[in-house]
Amino acid sequence: MNLLEKLDFSTAFRELSPILMEGLGIVLASTLCGFSLALLLGTFIALGRISKYFLLNKVLVVLLEIVRGTPLLVQLVYMYYVVPLIITLIGQLWDPSYRFTLSPFMAGVIGLGINYGCYLSEVIRSAIISVDKGQFEAALALGYTNRQAMWLIIIPQAVRIALPTFGNYIIMMIKDTSLLAFITVSELLLRTQAYASQTFLTIESYTILALAYLVLSLPLAQIVRIMEKRLKRHV
Amino acid sequence: MCETMIEVCNLRKSFGTNEILKGINLTVKKGEKVVIIGPSGSGKSTFLRCLNFLEIPTSGTVKIDGHYFAKPNEKLNEKHIAALRTEIGMVFQRFNLFPTMTAIENVMAAQIKIRKKSKEAARETAEKYLKKVGLSERMHYYPSQLSGGQQQRVAIARALAMEPKAMLFDEATSALDPELVGEVLNVIRELADEGMTMVLVTHEMKFAKEVADRIIFMDGGVIVEEGHPQEFFSNPKEERTKAFIKKVEH
Ligand SMILES: Nc1ncnc2c1ncn2[C@@H]1O[C@H](COP(=O)(O)OP(=O)(O)OP(=O)(O)O)[C@@H](O)[C@H]1O
Ligand SMILES: [Mg+2]
Repeated sequence: MNLLEKLDFSTAFRELSPILMEGLGIVLASTLCGFSLALLLGTFIALGRISKYFLLNKVLVVLLEIVRGTPLLVQLVYMYYVVPLIITLIGQLWDPSYRFTLSPFMAGVIGLGINYGCYLSEVIRSAIISVDKGQFEAALALGYTNRQAMWLIIIPQAVRIALPTFGNYIIMMIKDTSLLAFITVSELLLRTQAYASQTFLTIESYTILALAYLVLSLPLAQIVRIMEKRLKRHV
Repeated sequence: MCETMIEVCNLRKSFGTNEILKGINLTVKKGEKVVIIGPSGSGKSTFLRCLNFLEIPTSGTVKIDGHYFAKPNEKLNEKHIAALRTEIGMVFQRFNLFPTMTAIENVMAAQIKIRKKSKEAARETAEKYLKKVGLSERMHYYPSQLSGGQQQRVAIARALAMEPKAMLFDEATSALDPELVGEVLNVIRELADEGMTMVLVTHEMKFAKEVADRIIFMDGGVIVEEGHPQEFFSNPKEERTKAFIKKVEH
């Protein structure tokens, strides 16, 4: 009872919302950059896995197992604290004064990109495989080379098949940007933590934080649903 | 100018250890219409697909209008094979239209990407061939909005728009409802009358008799018998041919 009386949502809302608004740009930017990188990586991993190069295939499978077998948080921390050190050590073999650093944001984007790229590669791969083989043959018969048939005929159809799933992964990535707090990116969680520890408005702050994520992801989920319906028409 | 459009020399094709085509020789003259018939699994589709190298022969050669896909013992050159394929149109049993494109976009795509035509020129050619197959009114429909017969006619227009020297048809009407077969056969018949070189695999014996200059009967991966349609159907020489004709005519 006592606790409830002390709740002060209006103060928390008044003070925390502008702080969160400032962090919104970082959430959107890291999602946009991270997802673009993931799409790029995912497509090339998928194509590598479909190709007939045995060694490339094995290397990619090992990469996938590593990424899927470790937590995203660990990967982000590794990307921020360990990877620059390793690159620095290697660089110093040539130039003793060499030093490599990654900004927290860059490390976060690369970490998210690699992690999601691995998951997306499986989505893209199965979408490509699910396109009717006759499509590829029709393109070849018209004079397309293998590569042209893949990029001009198969991948556009695969993208349609995979698009709704991409949408769900974007929503997941928005929520996963909260992990960037652990590598000092000043996104929503880190800002909320700071505010809550100063004001002790713990319940209020984290409730507002949860609402902020909902405000971001609910409209997107709706867009995904509409997209799903529209794309189903001509496949 | 040579008189020969397609020249197949000692063609063999195996899948693993399973030899499907066992040494086929065939010459198709310019303007000639050759119909291939034979029981299921005899290798008709495989043979047709070897004619445009969709299936790479295990040995033997295929020449189109004097050009080899690959000379004997020569390494395959993907660009060359792709370029030579543009000279031969192929129509598939299951249409294989690109579902994300409208009818006219289907007919334009390869003209633009492969033939490097301008959009306007491609559109003009596409309209011409869609009109030819009687689909001017449905140009802007997606494949999913067209009947099977209409889809197959778009597929024929798509192949023709590349202005090929020869056309291959692999059971172009087998996936169609009976009432839609006629409209597709009419288009093919018209094409035949215009002098297009064609190799057709079909189960429509009446149609075969009508358009073919020559019937080829395949069984077990070899050409068992060939001849002029009248002669072939009324007076078959081989036992296997007789048995097959008896079966399909009843
Ligand atoms: N890609 C492939 N891999 C393995 N075997 C194949 C492949 N393609 C065809 N075959 C085999 O080759 C044989 C001949 O097939 P093909 O499709 O050429 O026969 P067909 O004469 O066209 O028969 P149908 O009249 O049923 O279409 C079949 O036994 C088939 O299983
Ligand atoms: Mg067949």
